[in-house]
Amino acid sequence: MAFPVLTPSARAFDSGDYPVKVYKAQSGSETRILYGDKRTNMKLQLTYANISDANAELFLDHYDEMKGSFTTFDLNSSAKGGWEGNADAIGAQDHGNNYRYEAPPQVTQVRPGISTVTVSLIGVL
Amino acid sequence: MSKVYTGRDGVMQLADVTLAKVVSFSVQSDLETLETTTLGDGVRSYSPGVTGYSGNATLLYYKDDDDDINTTDLLNKLIKTGSDGVSSSDTVELTFRWADGTDNNDIKLTAYITSASLGAATGDIARAEISFQGTGAITTASIGS
Repeated sequence: MAFPVLTPSARAFDSGDYPVKVYKAQSGSETRILYGDKRTNMKLQLTYANISDANAELFLDHYDEMKGSFTTFDLNSSAKGGWEGNADAIGAQDHGNNYRYEAPPQVTQVRPGISTVTVSLIGVL
Repeated sequence: MSKVYTGRDGVMQLADVTLAKVVSFSVQSDLETLETTTLGDGVRSYSPGVTGYSGNATLLYYKDDDDDINTTDLLNKLIKTGSDGVSSSDTVELTFRWADGTDNNDIKLTAYITSASLGAATGDIARAEISFQGTGAITTASIGS
């Protein structure tokens, strides 16, 4: 089962960082060691406001299909809808990452048949 | 026959009994809208949410020949002694009518009185002003035809 093909109503993206270890001496001088050449830990939060319960259920089904936060998956272009820059910039695949669920989808029912879903994803190598 | 309704045609009832000395009333219906606009859309879109009813009325503070005061059963829902406050049974059945002879155009609803004020001023008639908040569905809405 693929990630639901829906365009979010709000999106927040944190571009993550390269694996860097920082050593700080008592003098305050800092030594940084780069342990990898791939940026990782990018975080993507998608909000789908006021969608039908049937669509909200797609996220719950997908989360279950992915065994919760265990399995990684590709994100379709709908999740990046409205972004007019290069899609790779808010993606994870370009850096060898794939998204997995960082937390369970949060479903808030706003009226009968209508819910708001918030999905938190994290890019992992 | 065509007709323009005026204040003379307005009737306000409490529990199906017409209230005396009503100066004005107003009933408002609101729809909560849920925004369904998504990223990339250029125009906002909405889905209907829940509706609600509210309004207000002004009555002269009036005592009839039987010493009954017209606003008693409205004001008593909010202005009361004791420390219990307002309970879920403190609702009123209000009917707002635009009458044309025997042809009645009604809005009937159950409501809580959410504000009540009663004043007196030199050289003026004492008035009671109330606001209400409807609860549940309106039971009659014969205003369309």
